[in-house]
Amino acid sequence: MTEAWRNRLMLLIALALAAVYLFPLYWMYITTLKSGSAVFATPPGFWPSDPHWDTYVYVWESRNLARYLGNSLVIATGAVTLITLLGTGCAYVLARYRNRWVDVGLFLILMLQVLPASLMITPIFVGFSQLGLLDYPRFAVVLAIAAKSMPFFVVLVRATFMSVPMELEEAALVDGNSRIGAFFNIVLPLARNGILVSAILIFMQAFGEFVYSKSIIQAIEYQPASVGLNSFMGPNTNEWNSIMAFATIYVTPILAIFVLLQRRIVSGLTSGALK
Amino acid sequence: MSIRMCLMAGAVALAGIPALGMSHASAEEITLRIWSLDKPEQPAWNLAKEFDDKEPNIKVEYRLIQFDDVVSEAMRAYSTGQAPDIIAIDNPEHALFASRGAFLDLTDMISKSSVIKKENYFKGPLNSVTWKDKLYGVPKATNTIALYYNADMFRAKGLDPDKPPQTWDELLAAARKLNDPARNVYGLAFSAKGNEEGTFQFLPWVQMAGGSYKHINTEGGVKALTAWKTIMNEKLASPDSLTRGQWDSTGTFNAGNAAMAISGPWELNRMTSEAKFDWRVALLPIPQPGAERSSAMGDFNWAIFSSTKHPAEAFKAIEYFASQDDKMFAKYGQLPARSDITLPATGDAKKDAALKVFQEQLKYAQARGPHPQWPKISKAIQDAIQAALTGQMSPKDALDQAQKKIDAVLG
Amino acid sequence: MRKLALSLTDGRGFDILLVAVPLGFLLALSGLPLLYNVLMSFQEVDMFSLGSVIRPFVGLANYKALFAEPETWPIFANTAIFVTASIAGQFVIGFGLALFFWVNFPGASWLRGLFLISWIMPGLVVGAVWNWMLSGDFGVINFLLREAGLISRNIFWRSDPNFALWAVILANIWLGTSFNMILLSVGLSAIPEDLYEAAELDGANVWQRFVTITLPMMRSSIGAILSLGLIFTLQQFDLFAAITSGGPNNASNVAQYWAWDLSFKQYDFARGATISVIMILFVMLASVIYVRSTRQEVRG
Repeated sequence: MTEAWRNRLMLLIALALAAVYLFPLYWMYITTLKSGSAVFATPPGFWPSDPHWDTYVYVWESRNLARYLGNSLVIATGAVTLITLLGTGCAYVLARYRNRWVDVGLFLILMLQVLPASLMITPIFVGFSQLGLLDYPRFAVVLAIAAKSMPFFVVLVRATFMSVPMELEEAALVDGNSRIGAFFNIVLPLARNGILVSAILIFMQAFGEFVYSKSIIQAIEYQPASVGLNSFMGPNTNEWNSIMAFATIYVTPILAIFVLLQRRIVSGLTSGALK
Repeated sequence: MSIRMCLMAGAVALAGIPALGMSHASAEEITLRIWSLDKPEQPAWNLAKEFDDKEPNIKVEYRLIQFDDVVSEAMRAYSTGQAPDIIAIDNPEHALFASRGAFLDLTDMISKSSVIKKENYFKGPLNSVTWKDKLYGVPKATNTIALYYNADMFRAKGLDPDKPPQTWDELLAAARKLNDPARNVYGLAFSAKGNEEGTFQFLPWVQMAGGSYKHINTEGGVKALTAWKTIMNEKLASPDSLTRGQWDSTGTFNAGNAAMAISGPWELNRMTSEAKFDWRVALLPIPQPGAERSSAMGDFNWAIFSSTKHPAEAFKAIEYFASQDDKMFAKYGQLPARSDITLPATGDAKKDAALKVFQEQLKYAQARGPHPQWPKISKAIQDAIQAALTGQMSPKDALDQAQKKIDAVLG
Repeated sequence: MRKLALSLTDGRGFDILLVAVPLGFLLALSGLPLLYNVLMSFQEVDMFSLGSVIRPFVGLANYKALFAEPETWPIFANTAIFVTASIAGQFVIGFGLALFFWVNFPGASWLRGLFLISWIMPGLVVGAVWNWMLSGDFGVINFLLREAGLISRNIFWRSDPNFALWAVILANIWLGTSFNMILLSVGLSAIPEDLYEAAELDGANVWQRFVTITLPMMRSSIGAILSLGLIFTLQQFDLFAAITSGGPNNASNVAQYWAWDLSFKQYDFARGATISVIMILFVMLASVIYVRSTRQEVRG
């Protein structure tokens, strides 16, 4: 019985922590139902007196949200695919050896990510325009996002590869596997969870990427949701309730999917093939 | 994917038909790229679409850019040869581009135009598109700031709602009376934010007191900043005015948490639908009776990039936009920068009364600059405002420092 | 030819190929833009010469001018405070939450997933919501503090020079906690349970187990998370733009926001680039520390 009580207590604390942490999310939801001026009312309203549900209808109809979301999906999928393809092998090698060259590689990878996108966009724009990449705007953004997020992926996945015992790979090589065979048959499956978590984190970031998309993608047909979100902002006119409704529509499903997925990934890891 | 391929193939085929059928067709379709910050609910977005529909040989590509990004996007594009044909640019930034030859000189086109006539425009907006006596653009719209007040609160505190404050002293006195911390009401809402909005709100005060952006540390300038400091020190306005823009500040007025607000006509639509009280607008108070009036001049101008391949068509587009100026207020609440247009009544009494005041106030509106290094001048002014209002410098010292920086820019 | 093919599938060539391609990609797409910034810091840059790299060379003039400004040192000090406090807060809270949810109770994994919300919410929305929450008059934080009797007068988080930087730090800790927590959770679950069982048999208490097993086993995860945390905090931009705009009077201004403001609000690109070069030097130092920390990693 003590076990059950402990569980209940833990759950209670967890709920309280989540309530505190999720408050900004609640505030986003509640703002969608307020009028534009009620946002600024003192004292703050925790539940609107006359909820404006029609904001959702207006946002959905006026902005062609489906197209924006489709573009976000294309861009995020492209970026994650590119990063996973390039980054996984890189992380594997950087975890496998321990010498000066690995130090240099790691150092470069971290260093190259230091400046915020808002400062990187000018040179990237200039370079892309000279290469003619601006004619393929979504592809160009995928490249830019991949460059920005790959260090993140490599550093994380490298940490995952570190936890795969070297002996397993060596045993596979002794059994007659080639290096490439050992990598795909032994090492990769063992590191799959870490790669998946990192890829999902990257996916969600790429889905909301804003700075590169807004500068590189000029045609509205190719713009992602993050850029569409800003079409409610204007000089001296920010439709906060619409912005929040727009964000709600695209954040909620992603959050739901993630809650379902991460449960399997993170908790599945303990019972993984490691032991 | 295959759908797109089909569409593209279809488009190519369609484009091919007229090319084959009438090889002597007069003009082939050209593309005009227009950048503006107007959203789907605002003028330029719709005007661009109308122009696209109206002109069979011109295809319009409209791009919405954010207020903060207009200049950086334009510079990046221009310096890499990717500039659009037409851009809507904030009036204080106009000189930056015009002085460097990035914008097309429209003087001749305007003198020949039957739609755009120089003499129809207000002086302030026209001044902002002018560089060295040549016209480099056409004012898209104009706005200014005035004093909104909550007449119900005036009555409740024994003030006469038909006699809004005329001078700075009256404004401060009214604010003190209306200030009611127990009910979460501030006397005044305005913006002293450390960006262009702060300069926009502050400069009229300096100008009314006889100063200007060139001479900011005059007696009048110090008097203006001291008045602002009094407002902040006595908590007649929220301390958050230091980090809050005009739209959010006026939001507190609409919500009933401020009795007066200094802001512009862009508030009218939101206020009409959301402010549940008797609100009115008065001219910006002056330093003392008989002082010269002044106000800020905001909003955007149309300009054509000098790199355009289709100057005639681009000008035609701007002519079309100008021809629709008279419909802009009723449809979108945007004020044309022209004196030859009488705006029709909207039917909303509060809005119509407010409009009259704003049109009166517009007569005193002054352009910021024009100066190609306006952002640096403006930054010096913002720094002075923030230093004085946070108490880190006296108004006099802060403005002296600003003057030094401005003198360095003006040379 | 066969030898090369063999090397690529089964030898050194395999490793080199796996590293060289992504590194080349990064050097082209991040390295060149960085160089562009470094180059600009030694040049006289004009808004219309952004498209070319040949510009008048001015030596160290931009650096000298930068350090002659009175606001330079306070802004760098702010940056140091922002980075240190944000990383410390994110890591400690993130680690605490990860350990808490590591104890398997029903519902733990569901609730842990919800914490990832800060990773998904768009920057514009996060900034706006925190802006309102931290507002002096209508802000929820003040409202709750007041109702709880903790304060008698409103704190103007955004506009009081004493609080403005901490207001942004608070929001940034919230933003980064989820990332720390989820990655530390992954690290924790990779520790074999038999280690703990053995230690428990040896009579080690909770704290001893944490120090002798958890921390050493997590070394590579922690190194990775802290260095990524540094990069994320240095890239944090949206919160400054939304909450304080670096104000009032630069009280909450930091290097990355200042560099943007100089470049894109005052069009002083050279000065903006100069600040970014100083940031690069700072991160170089941190990268060296990270790389050195990987030396002591234990391979699982």
